[in-house]
Amino acid sequence: MTATDMTGLAGRGERRRGRLKDLITRWSFMAPSIVLMILLLAYPIFYTIEISLTRFDIATFSAGAWVGLDNYREVMADYRFWDSLWVTLIYLVIALPLQVALGFGIAFLINAEWAGRGFIRALFIIPMVVAPVVAGGIWRMMLDPLWGIVNHWLGFIGIGPLDWFGDPALAMATIIIIDTWRWTPFIVLIATAALLALPKDVFEAAKIDGANWWSTLWSVAIPLLVPVIAATFVIRWLGAVKMFDIVLASTYGGPGKATNVINLFIYEEAFRSLRFAESAAMAVIVLVLTMVLTALFLRGTRALEDRY
Amino acid sequence: MSSEIGVMALNRKRLAAMTAAVVMMSATGSTAQADEGLGTAEDPVTVRIIANEAFANTWQTTLVPEFNKVYPHIEVVFDGVPYPDMLAKMMLDATSPDPEYDAYLIDDPWVPQMAEVGALIDLKGEDIAAITDDGYDWDDFSAAPLAAGEWQGVQYAVPVRSNVLLRFYNRTLYEQAGLDEPTPEQTWDEFFADAEALVRDTDGDGQDDVWAISTYFVRDSLTPTIWQSILNANGGNLLDEEGKPAFANETGAVSLETHKRLLDYAPPGGLGHGFSESLQAFRQGLVANLFNWGSIYKATAVDSASTTLTPDEVGIQVLPVGTENAGTHRGIWIAGISSKTDRQEASWAFLQWLTSREGEAINAALVGSFPARLSTLESEPAEPWLAPVYETLKHAYAVAGEGGMWRIRSPRSDAAQQILADEVARGLAGQVEAEEALGIAAEKVERALR
Repeated sequence: MTATDMTGLAGRGERRRGRLKDLITRWSFMAPSIVLMILLLAYPIFYTIEISLTRFDIATFSAGAWVGLDNYREVMADYRFWDSLWVTLIYLVIALPLQVALGFGIAFLINAEWAGRGFIRALFIIPMVVAPVVAGGIWRMMLDPLWGIVNHWLGFIGIGPLDWFGDPALAMATIIIIDTWRWTPFIVLIATAALLALPKDVFEAAKIDGANWWSTLWSVAIPLLVPVIAATFVIRWLGAVKMFDIVLASTYGGPGKATNVINLFIYEEAFRSLRFAESAAMAVIVLVLTMVLTALFLRGTRALEDRY
Repeated sequence: MSSEIGVMALNRKRLAAMTAAVVMMSATGSTAQADEGLGTAEDPVTVRIIANEAFANTWQTTLVPEFNKVYPHIEVVFDGVPYPDMLAKMMLDATSPDPEYDAYLIDDPWVPQMAEVGALIDLKGEDIAAITDDGYDWDDFSAAPLAAGEWQGVQYAVPVRSNVLLRFYNRTLYEQAGLDEPTPEQTWDEFFADAEALVRDTDGDGQDDVWAISTYFVRDSLTPTIWQSILNANGGNLLDEEGKPAFANETGAVSLETHKRLLDYAPPGGLGHGFSESLQAFRQGLVANLFNWGSIYKATAVDSASTTLTPDEVGIQVLPVGTENAGTHRGIWIAGISSKTDRQEASWAFLQWLTSREGEAINAALVGSFPARLSTLESEPAEPWLAPVYETLKHAYAVAGEGGMWRIRSPRSDAAQQILADEVARGLAGQVEAEEALGIAAEKVERALR
């Protein structure tokens, strides 16, 4: 072996050591986060999966004998599970587009320069910081057919009295109204930021070309906003699919089972009926469904980003 | 004086029990931690109790100071927990190797669950008997409330806040409607005949503003107790002698239809009414009748801070009579001691005091809790308003005992109750016919109880 070869080998060894050191340094920075992620995210998920495949032992309050997919079969055969999924779907199909449309619409309207705009924007934050249970309780009082102020006001224009909690359709409307009141401001904030970030020259060019308000909105603003709208939809979807607390505080899932969303059903089965294994199976099914749908939405979002 | 004698008797028994324990431990070389006893001024003992947040704070501030007049070295700490979360929290605590709580306040149907996991000590067993006051009379308890703390022949808990579903009625509204005051013998048919007259437009604006009834209609685990009280009054039962559902029949369906028919005479939005809404409507004089838990009487008829009504205006009795008997439903809060606590003696000292005749009287007078002891119910009440309440309670305990008017007794009773809540709610909302709702409920309850 020549001196050059030896120098080359030593250099390669040093580079390898350097890369290894670099790798160790990088992982050492990431390690605390990884450990935290495993503890806080992965462990509960794997524990839920474990419980879903066992008979929950109430005496030790932990996973007991292995039962395979029995809990999943039981859940799939329970009409209440499918009813709750259907109720959740109805809520999502109405609430999400409504909130996104309202959020971007309001943002577009308040985007113009006018005095007091900052104050109005600040007011929009209030519903977001109110705890969902409090929001549900307050709205329950406002919509109460006997004492509520809403029916009182509606009476002045000849509407009602409406039975907000006794009529299944109105009860679902109640949930959507409360949820929309809470979350539309969040979308308004995102939309406002997106509108402010749009290139002004494109709008100036449209104006020079004689585009009116509607043409500017439809042919310029919306195409530019589509990626943001899609991303907002995905963010809101991830929040909305967890809907639970507002229902618990306002309609209790009723009347009958008209607003019994899936997360309320899972909660009741687990913590009121102590059917933890079946609840874990339901939670796993919902997790998988959510992941699949989220993946589809993200794919759609990317496609829209590419297109626009 | 009787308390002092009790303490002395307790101390003598404690001494004997401790001596025996020391001998046993010496003989076996045991290192188990000794019971902390009743505490001393230098070394007080703390007893932690998990309780319903609805009354935990009141008990902490009102009853514990009274207890400390007798046992100054025992600190009792109540942790209030929302009712829906209580069972899961208690089970989690009871199954841990080192439970946080020394005693548990348990709702009527939960004793089997708690007993099955070995969470509770036998209150009539040797250990507790050794530290029980000679004057503590188990036979003095009414049978129905005491039975709530029993499971498979073992007394795991004692009644500390007895309760039953009762009918409250507003005498003024009955009088204004030109009706005679109802009696405990009133049947459901008579009730509905009165209900027609009780729904009225009192201010002449063309809209009804007073209604006949409010109670539980909302989707809630306690709503089936109304249907069940009607079912029991009609001679039906939730389970047969083999423990299988026995309610999916004509009696069950007729009872559910009766419950649903109440909505015709309830205020707008009645289907959304539960405990709070119905209570509020009655307190404000908007409904003539309220079927709710008897323990609300003080806050409904006595406390001017919470009600517009007075004891003279509020009548109290059992629910109307069905084809067999009157209706009610037992809902006793009972207390048991953790089988793993090393503060057994202090815990039992508190529960013993609370369920003694003296403690019951204090609990009733200061907090409005209902007693379970026959001697308390027969005695001169501390407050005049308690007299009709005690009379009604005696009647209701007897009715509940005769008709077996309580929720399912099983380690899986909560699962069964949730199923009933779901199906009764669907039946009341008209989403399915009564027969279908009860048929599905029966099938699911049977599977849940296996």
